[in-house]
Amino acid sequence: MKGKITSIFLMIFLCCALFVRGQDLTVSGKVTDESGETLPGVSVRIKGATGGTQTIANGTYAIKVPSAQTVLIFSYLGYSTQEVAVNGRTTLDINLKVDQTSLQEVVVIGYGTQKITKVSGAISTVKGADIEKLNPVRAEDAVQGRASGVTVISPGSPGAKPTVLIRGIPSYTGTDPVVVVDGSIQSLDDLNSINAADIESINILKDAATTAIYGVKGGNGVIVVTTKTGRKNQKNEFTYGSSYGQQEVVSTIGVLNATEYGAILNEGSVASGGAILFPNLSALGVGTNWQNQIFENAALQSHNLTARGGSEKLSYFVSGGYLGQDGIVGGGSKSYFNRANGTVNLSFDLTPKLKFIANTSFVNIKGAGVPENSINSVISNALNFDPTVSIFNTVPNTYGKYSISNTILSEIYNPLTQLDDTYNESNTNKLYGKLELQYDVLKNFKITSRYGYTNTDVSTKSFNPLSFYGASHINSTLNADGTPRPGSHNSVAEGKINYYNFTFEQFGNYNFKISEDHSFDVIGGFSLAKVTGNAINGSRQDVPFNSWEFADISAATGIAQTSGLSVGSYQYERRNLSYFSRINYDYKERYLASFSARRDGSYAFGENNKFANFFAGSLGWVVSSESFYKSDFFDFLKLRGSYGVTGNENVNPQFQRISTDIYSYNLGQNAGYTFGNNATSIGATIASFRNDNLGWEKQKQLNAGFDLRFYKSKFSLTADYFEKNISGLLFTPSLSLYLGTASSPTSNIGTTKTSGVDMNLGYNDQIGDNFKIGTNFAFTTAKNKVTETNNGLIQGGNYGIPNQTVTRFEKGFTPGYFYGYQTAGLFQNQAEIAASPTQANAQPGDIKYVDINGDNVIDANDRTKIGDPFPTFTLGWGLNFEYKGFDFNTFVYASVGNDIYRAYERNLAMTNKFRGVLARWTGEGTTNDARNPRYSFTDGNVNSRVSDRYVEDGSFAKIKNIQLGYALPASLLKSKTISRIRVYAQVKNAYTFTKYSGYDPEIAGGIFDSGIDRGAYPQARTYSMGIDVKF
Amino acid sequence: MKNNKYIIASLLVVTMTTGCEKFVDYAPKEDFQITSDDYLKTSDDYQKMVVACYSPLQWLWANPVIGDIASDNSVSGGENATDQIGFQEIDNYQITANNGNLTEAWKSCYEGINRVNYLEENKTKLDFVGKDALYGEIYFLRAYYYFELVRMFGDVPLFVDKRLGVSDSKGIPRTAKADVYKQIELDLNNAIAANLPNVRVAAEPGRITKYAAQALLGKVLLYQGKFDAAAAMLENVVNGPFSLVTNFGNVFLQAGENGTESVFEIQYSNISPFYDWSNPGRGQGNLAVQVCGIRNITGSSPYGEGWSTNLPTVNLANAYAAGDTRKAVTILDIEAYKAANPQFNIKYTVAPYRNTGLYNQKYLPRKGETSGQVELNYLNNYRTIRYADVLLMAAEANNRATTPNDTKAQGYLNRVRQRAFADQLHNITSTGTALRQAIWDERRLELAMEGDRFFDLVRTGQAAAKITGFMVGRNEIFPIPQQEIDISGYTQNPNYN
Repeated sequence: MKGKITSIFLMIFLCCALFVRGQDLTVSGKVTDESGETLPGVSVRIKGATGGTQTIANGTYAIKVPSAQTVLIFSYLGYSTQEVAVNGRTTLDINLKVDQTSLQEVVVIGYGTQKITKVSGAISTVKGADIEKLNPVRAEDAVQGRASGVTVISPGSPGAKPTVLIRGIPSYTGTDPVVVVDGSIQSLDDLNSINAADIESINILKDAATTAIYGVKGGNGVIVVTTKTGRKNQKNEFTYGSSYGQQEVVSTIGVLNATEYGAILNEGSVASGGAILFPNLSALGVGTNWQNQIFENAALQSHNLTARGGSEKLSYFVSGGYLGQDGIVGGGSKSYFNRANGTVNLSFDLTPKLKFIANTSFVNIKGAGVPENSINSVISNALNFDPTVSIFNTVPNTYGKYSISNTILSEIYNPLTQLDDTYNESNTNKLYGKLELQYDVLKNFKITSRYGYTNTDVSTKSFNPLSFYGASHINSTLNADGTPRPGSHNSVAEGKINYYNFTFEQFGNYNFKISEDHSFDVIGGFSLAKVTGNAINGSRQDVPFNSWEFADISAATGIAQTSGLSVGSYQYERRNLSYFSRINYDYKERYLASFSARRDGSYAFGENNKFANFFAGSLGWVVSSESFYKSDFFDFLKLRGSYGVTGNENVNPQFQRISTDIYSYNLGQNAGYTFGNNATSIGATIASFRNDNLGWEKQKQLNAGFDLRFYKSKFSLTADYFEKNISGLLFTPSLSLYLGTASSPTSNIGTTKTSGVDMNLGYNDQIGDNFKIGTNFAFTTAKNKVTETNNGLIQGGNYGIPNQTVTRFEKGFTPGYFYGYQTAGLFQNQAEIAASPTQANAQPGDIKYVDINGDNVIDANDRTKIGDPFPTFTLGWGLNFEYKGFDFNTFVYASVGNDIYRAYERNLAMTNKFRGVLARWTGEGTTNDARNPRYSFTDGNVNSRVSDRYVEDGSFAKIKNIQLGYALPASLLKSKTISRIRVYAQVKNAYTFTKYSGYDPEIAGGIFDSGIDRGAYPQARTYSMGIDVKF
Repeated sequence: MKNNKYIIASLLVVTMTTGCEKFVDYAPKEDFQITSDDYLKTSDDYQKMVVACYSPLQWLWANPVIGDIASDNSVSGGENATDQIGFQEIDNYQITANNGNLTEAWKSCYEGINRVNYLEENKTKLDFVGKDALYGEIYFLRAYYYFELVRMFGDVPLFVDKRLGVSDSKGIPRTAKADVYKQIELDLNNAIAANLPNVRVAAEPGRITKYAAQALLGKVLLYQGKFDAAAAMLENVVNGPFSLVTNFGNVFLQAGENGTESVFEIQYSNISPFYDWSNPGRGQGNLAVQVCGIRNITGSSPYGEGWSTNLPTVNLANAYAAGDTRKAVTILDIEAYKAANPQFNIKYTVAPYRNTGLYNQKYLPRKGETSGQVELNYLNNYRTIRYADVLLMAAEANNRATTPNDTKAQGYLNRVRQRAFADQLHNITSTGTALRQAIWDERRLELAMEGDRFFDLVRTGQAAAKITGFMVGRNEIFPIPQQEIDISGYTQNPNYN
């Protein structure tokens, strides 16, 4: 202690001495960047002394220096720091270079920022520049393949939410990471609202050391989005960006043409003892391929205007944007995602010590969609509908614009009629942002009070008109003459939902040094968070004129007595209270340590489990800073390790609910009964189980990694190994059926283990004066295993009619694996059937299944693992070139080892078939491919059961983006206001290398639905042109 | 002074902290949710919970369908070999443990049992007038659910004390059939002993009566071969206030519901229409009606369209003697009907799979008897126990009693036949085993398409002889649902693996 005081005195003395001896020499000058732009806000310091100044709006500075030999340090975020000796000069103009090594970069972590070299946890970063290049509809698109450790499975539907897995699948109850936008906590759903042009950076916190500060919410990782801000004394800068493109479907699925269809149906009918259905095959021709009718080219456009700048006390960022994406299924009139954004980020210095920050964004989203990824989807209907009929109805004096099938009488119908009869719209208004006060109590002690909020209002309307799919079609609600079928009604449904979330946080941040070399950064605080939802909805039958124009509850005429008018409402609230703290420590930026502790309370858990504590710590060692470290090749080496605990509270309070519903949708918990012709008697019953012992999922994560830069820092390599063990998995168990039909409660059962490697390899170089190259690989792998499910297993992935399940969450297997029969070719003859394990009703040409349990009988016990929907590893590869005014970038994303279950084949007797059937078994020795059994209307062997017959390797490599840009040379820009014009052409999803026979091997969904293709909306290929202007 | 500052500061922190901790408390009332803590505080709560014990009866719509399809009375029909797959499997005698209809029956019965058990658990919580009779009703219902289970699945898990919770999953073993029957008898005897009314006032037809409990007990005794006790028990009902409806056909019309011949009917209704295709049989409507309808029938006949399932066999049609009025009531020969009634201008789609040309006219969908989602809301009650059934059961019990009373047996049997033929010429005069066979044959004719045929054939040892594909030692009972086997770890019924 005495030593410390002495040293402080000594320092003060030295400072005074310097000032006393100074001769008041003033150095001034201008700081510019490589392109000659002036840089305001650059820090100018005297080496070896405290204090300094900054460049002002025009990039100039003036500083008094103690001697002619003084060395000045110029530093600025994102640029290489320069040390320049004054050498007696009084004017010193400085040209700062963009920092290729990024060693000065800071990353945004929970409740603060950290210099990247000091980070000892595991963080992936995607920079705004990369996001801008991709010009994505949703920010996650930009994360895919760029951030190691993150797996993104993107859907094709406009604006739809992708599957995002950060370091594998730790939990069953939801895999969505937490999203933090400028410090306020949101969800992955909210990422549809953020204009990509507003994003400064996306940091992904992956290990326990970085996520534990988010405690019970951090278990699935954290995506930290930082939006752009202005800087103090920054010159006003405007940008305008605009692009327009056309989207198209990339491929179609091979279905039978009309003649082939007729021939196969004849065969199927005869094989099952029926008659020839199409005696004159040649008259059928090729017929109609309905896929060509439902896919349309659709527009994708975006326009953004931003402005930023600052004065001495104020800085601002303002932007406005519009993005419009039409859907390729049915075109822009039936599916679209249109978003208008406005953002104002302001920061004021109210007093020298008190800063006020207000970030405000308003978003309007208008959307519409078509039925997708189910047996009733438009795509499924297009694939399975009758190819023999013409597109349009050619029968005079009959109802309907499009033709009907006289043979398909249930479930599958004309997809164009379906599209025509699809009416819905949603309108979302969302206001979100934060209000924040920062008060500098002491020079190094800051208190922050932050209120982050999101208010979302959603209005939806859908209209279900009376439809005609054929006089004998069971789904028709109209007769052939256009009159309603008895008991049929059209209906309109409207809903209004309000979501309001807030996070109120108070925390203090204290930086100090001990003996100059020991740096501490301490944070402590608490937060209150609330998530609410409030909805009212209604529906009414009998819309006038069966018309969308009159589709409104106020215009419809249904009455409550006949259930023609109904109303409903719901509301929910989630609340959390947390206390958190963290200490970051480093010794000469060489030895790094961090420790965080958090205490979390959740409304969702029982009294005994309201609170839990989470701890995490990390250590780092910058080996290259050691005096013994001598390497000219490896410029920088840091070793990192962390361990800690996070959690998950994706659960609702579990109590024994009394239901008095006559019936409740999807639950089948009817509690009423009707005695004679009396009004229905209201009954009451227990509708859910309680679980008093419910706690949280605890996730223990170990991380070990290193950061390496070599060959003049042109190469960088970051690699991490992680291991996660999750216990007390929140999980809805399969309970004994004899417990009845009350809803199963969520329980803490099961454990999982996930381990994997994240890797990022980068290379950036400048060759000659004009040629720049940059390339980056991101490698992600995660192995998931369910290690305990002490109360059964969970099945999911429902598809088809009758309903079948494909996926399971089960001990000893990967989460969501495909479960079914294994095939072993086809039975070629009766002798082979007789020699094989007993398989009921098998005939030659039927699929032979594997007797997994060896009991010589093929039955339900022979089902086994037949696939895994999640990739073994994913790889992203980005490549950028710049030459003079030209720039080129491309991005390839590969996913390897993911299987797909093909579930869009309806296989009713009369529905269309897929081209594989042409290679079917037609007699002994014709084929032994289990995918192509004999064809018959009757399927006694149940060849259509869940088996590997429908499993395909979904591995793929997609050229996600190709972009070629050209920036007009300054000589052409005669305007003084416009500083840069760049035009570009872009192709998104240019090509997919895959063996998968469907549209698109990327099939998003939850754990149970990823990889099941029920006719999923494929991603479109987009050709676009754009322009960026800076002034 | 400095100390005071710290004290104030720490007080502030403490109050803030404790105030904050309340922030994460939760009461279901916040979300307007009623919980068990709020319930069973008034007699009205008990009344409502008893009503809910009846609800799962409606979910058992497929049981009578199974009872005929599994027998020689009807075939599965449907659109094709995979439509209504549960019924197809049963018809083909390739029954798998994944059969959806069987699984639904299992779950529905156990939901009913758990609902009853919850009231059993809370029996002493409140006393009120009429409580005895209410408990009589639910004991009947529990007996009914267990009886459905035991005759379908054999040994089943048995529990009566409380509604099971999560911790009871997997732990309950199967109880021997004989012991399940013991419990059923106990429940029915308790129901009879309770203050149940003999008849229901018009206000609430379909509520359990003492006669319903006696009739079901008689049936349960008959299934166990306790003929003396069955005869005695059924005698009570035979002498009850019931009569055979003169026109047999009227029994199955809407106007005939809960009539003078009705001992117990599961009530279905179209008053509160149901729309939920995810659980299509769990509403207030009778899905069995939709299932057996004629495909795409149009014209002005009284019949509505359906899914051509559960089609009566020619074998059944041929079993009726000439002059038996029950044939036309039981079976609709659509072509004959169409030809006989040209004024209706009937068009329909011939049943695409396993067509017999015959339809289950007792439960055919009729126009105007449904509402809302039309397929799901047919109001037709399931005539669970009719007086004619009671007479035939009593006849059988008397014939098979330790000291047979064939005169009485003939008397009861002939009452049924006299109604069927509208004369005395067709009376049965045989005795002994011939009479027994006559009674069994009569049960088929009288009760065809009412769901008992399969169980009667099994119970009387005729199944193997009458049913194609029936394997002795396996098909007397159905397989336990695979999900229950997987989760609860039971051994499957013999020869189903």
